[in-house]
Amino acid sequence: MHALDKKLLRDFRRLWGQSLAIALVLACGVMILLTAFGMYRALDDTLAAFYERNEFADVWAMTEKAPRPLLSEISALPGVQTAEARVQEYLMLDLPGRVKSATGLALSLPDTGALPTLNVPLLRAGRLPDPQASDEVMVNEPFAEANGFEIGDTFEALMSGQKRRLTITGTALSPEFVYAIGPGTLMPDDESFGILWMPQAMLASAFDMSGAFNSVTLSLSRGAQEDQVIEALDTLLEPYGGTGAHGRDEQASNAFVTTEIKQLKNMATILPPVFFGISAFLVNMVIGRIIALERAEIGLLKALGYTDLHIAAHYVLLAGLTAVLGVVIGWVTGGLSARWMAGEYAQYFKFPYLIFNVSYDAYAISGFLALLTAAVGALRSAMGAAALPPAVAMSPPAPPRFKRSLLDRALSALRLSQPSMMIWRSLFRWPLRAAFSAIGLSLAVAIMISVGFFSYSINSIADIAFNQSNREDIVLLFTKERSLSALEDVRALPGVMEVEGELFTPVTLRNGPLEKQLSITTRGAGATLARSINETGRVVEIDGPGLLITTRVAEVLRLAPGDPVEVEFMSGRRETYTLTVAGVTEQFFGLGAFMTREAMSHLTRSAPQISVANVTLDPKEDDAFNRAIKDTPLISGAVRVTDMKASFDATVEENISIMNGLFSVVAILITVGLTYNSARIQLSERARELASLRILGFSNWEVSYILIGEIMLIAVLAQPLGWLIGYGLGHLMAASFASDLYTIPMVLPPAAYATASVVVLGTALASVLLVRQRIDRLDLVSVMKTRE
Amino acid sequence: MPEAVFHTEKLVKTYRTGGAEVHALAGVDLDLYASELTVLLGPSGSGKSTLLNILGGLDHATSGKVMFRDLDLTVQSDRALTRFRRDHVGFVFQFYNLVPSLTARENVQMVTDIAPNPMRAEEALERVGMSDRIDHFPAELSGGQQQRVAIARAIAKRPEVLLCDEPTGALDSSTGVQVLEAIREINEDLGTTAIVITHNAAIQAMAHRVVRFQDGNIASVATNDTRIAPSEIVW
Ligand SMILES: Nc1ncnc2c1ncn2[C@@H]1O[C@H](COP(=O)(O)OP(=O)(O)OP(=O)(O)O)[C@@H](O)[C@H]1O
Ligand SMILES: [Mg+2]
Repeated sequence: MHALDKKLLRDFRRLWGQSLAIALVLACGVMILLTAFGMYRALDDTLAAFYERNEFADVWAMTEKAPRPLLSEISALPGVQTAEARVQEYLMLDLPGRVKSATGLALSLPDTGALPTLNVPLLRAGRLPDPQASDEVMVNEPFAEANGFEIGDTFEALMSGQKRRLTITGTALSPEFVYAIGPGTLMPDDESFGILWMPQAMLASAFDMSGAFNSVTLSLSRGAQEDQVIEALDTLLEPYGGTGAHGRDEQASNAFVTTEIKQLKNMATILPPVFFGISAFLVNMVIGRIIALERAEIGLLKALGYTDLHIAAHYVLLAGLTAVLGVVIGWVTGGLSARWMAGEYAQYFKFPYLIFNVSYDAYAISGFLALLTAAVGALRSAMGAAALPPAVAMSPPAPPRFKRSLLDRALSALRLSQPSMMIWRSLFRWPLRAAFSAIGLSLAVAIMISVGFFSYSINSIADIAFNQSNREDIVLLFTKERSLSALEDVRALPGVMEVEGELFTPVTLRNGPLEKQLSITTRGAGATLARSINETGRVVEIDGPGLLITTRVAEVLRLAPGDPVEVEFMSGRRETYTLTVAGVTEQFFGLGAFMTREAMSHLTRSAPQISVANVTLDPKEDDAFNRAIKDTPLISGAVRVTDMKASFDATVEENISIMNGLFSVVAILITVGLTYNSARIQLSERARELASLRILGFSNWEVSYILIGEIMLIAVLAQPLGWLIGYGLGHLMAASFASDLYTIPMVLPPAAYATASVVVLGTALASVLLVRQRIDRLDLVSVMKTRE
Repeated sequence: MPEAVFHTEKLVKTYRTGGAEVHALAGVDLDLYASELTVLLGPSGSGKSTLLNILGGLDHATSGKVMFRDLDLTVQSDRALTRFRRDHVGFVFQFYNLVPSLTARENVQMVTDIAPNPMRAEEALERVGMSDRIDHFPAELSGGQQQRVAIARAIAKRPEVLLCDEPTGALDSSTGVQVLEAIREINEDLGTTAIVITHNAAIQAMAHRVVRFQDGNIASVATNDTRIAPSEIVW
């Protein structure tokens, strides 16, 4: 082995602390890149495979009741490849051992006893129900698991007012219910919502659908125009109470899953490169500074006859070892965490399998970029030193010229102690270096703030959604629209204290070429349970005949209060009206529009109707209430706001704490990488100066103060910048998360800034203190004896 | 007349510090001959190190000419100067300049790894009497021992010229004598041209020629008719 190679390895060992600190920063960048890419690709690939293998439909439509023969007409529409008709109903379920009610979505299976041709359920256990049976059912696997059902177990379902005992013959997963969300809820709750596949004959006879269907799904042939097919289908179904066909984009499960994957993709394509860039910048800077310290040695190598190429290679290799260490750590942790996170998501979504293709390109790109940044940092410094004539490089750098400036006079006026003066002077002497360190630390603060805001935002969302907007305990869903008198039936149920009715009407809102499908919520004036809240937390009352819309709708359709908006009703008489936007309200989940009951019944020239009842309950009567609604034919389901909040908190909190944890680690590693190295470099650069002070009689702590003081001063100065960048990054994050399904407000209380600052400053202090110990061990004699 | 190894004409080196100009070398004309041992004397700041650095290709002259045999050093590229140092020059610095992370042997190997016709590192160390400390790191050696390793490193490539900047400056007299002895041996055994800068007037007695510097110029050149061995030098 050549002497130079030995030197390389020994130098690497000597610098291992510093190398490790940088390597970890680099590893973080690589890990986040791999995690984000790997995870998003795995979900994307898995979803695509599941959809393709199980014939996920392209178009869905619902009607009140259409005759079977219509199906052949639908199949014959241009662009339609396969059309399948089925019966679909929401059922109230009574599950053994569960006092609260549950809801089931019943879907008919073909008479032939075969699987459907579209949205094919993937059988997980057992078998399909016998097409002739009147008491057999196949359920979705998560529902069975959440309720502890085995094949052969039974439960009861209320079908057209009649209780039926059903036996589970099998479990399945369906591409249609990757994200199985029950009516009126925001989050999947597998315990209280199940998919029930039942024989066609049994469902049809129970719901008076013999020879008829109320749901149709289509797959399109290659090159077909989806909107044209939808239009043609709507025309065909309109006489039978069609409520408007839609494509995959509005299929609930698909909308959620693709939104989630899109967010992951955003995260993968915006943030990790940003973080990677940050870590690359830091690594480049720190390696540059470490190698700048080797200036005299570079001069010596040149004096001895080593070429620039030799020297460059030597220091690039030194930096390269660090980078390789970082890349390997990043690859290993990134690969593991991508797989783990993808697995978590695959469970959260109900995928039957996970397709995890290793993204070799992500590995290659991250590795290459990591090595490159380290090499460039090293090269810059090494070549800078090699460009000097060896005589100059070997002589200690001329003592920096400290000028007496205005600032100096200002500092003198402050009568600072000598060590404090040294700190300030050195800050002004190397402003660029101080600035870079400050930028690095501010990025660490920013990273923490940019994800730290999520928990505050989510709390605010939950507070507005559950404590302020929806103050009812339970939402009862009616099987179909009822007159206001239904409220009296609900009031008669045990334990009911307050009752208010709401009507949900599917419509299409249009403003010029912009349009959105959503439901208008109609409420009685002065409703106190379900209310609309504006940005400042005030209750918004609708006065007059106008339409109140949510901020997201206002943004998407470019509407402001006072603007006219076209409203096409997708049910009933399917009339189109022009209404005025009466106001804008904040709502973070989904799209929404609101009207008063008077305005709606005036508009539709019909008696007021309701489709749900919001109820507050006497907690003591809870059980009696639950038993009662299971036997009430009027009601197809009950959504518990408290359960919804609990499942929301559980889902979201876990995600958020994983994110917060991950990014805190990143911020901490960046801080350590920066401050530990800065301190070590300072110590090397100023060893003689500090040793001289010790010899002059300054105590260890007085000398340490210079080291700690300068670095902590920079760290403190970095905070405001960090807050600013964090605020910006947070906005970027929030914007990348906004979708029709939910939006995330920027809520950044002072505590979020404070937390980030405390963590970063604390970490910085700990890192410097680690280096400070070296001052105690400073060998005064040898430091003064050797040349710098 | 013996062959000139180095030949300078009107050699000028000017440093510009802040507003002031310092003429470290103010037009030096000098010839140095093959196999001679030359001692450079002169007060601090008179330009000795500057001259040595330029002769060794470690620094550029501001104006004037420096010839190494037929090679005009003033017009050489950085790459060519590197080659020149690697093939022909051995340096000994006042502050040893050993690489702290390499042992004595490895410090010498730094040079033998890249020189065209080196001796073995062990042999070079033996010549300076360091055979028994071959695997020690610089931190484990005394100043004189470090300087002897530095000399071993300089001679290991069998250089044509050996340039020593105050090799004994940091050493006591008996260690200094050992170091000078090593330099004289190289000069005599291998015929290496040696230039030694010193503040110690007593050392001039071992030289063939003595060049005195004053304010960036040569004040006098003297030839010693009788030389004495380093061991007889007292200071
Ligand atoms: N890098 C530099 N920048 C500015 N001036 C310099 C530089 N190097 C040397 N000088 C000046 O050049 C002059 C000659 O310096 P040189 O080092 O050659 O002196 P010297 O004779 O070797 O002195 P000493 O015996 O103290 O080593 C001195 O006045 C010195 O201040
Ligand atoms: Mg000198």
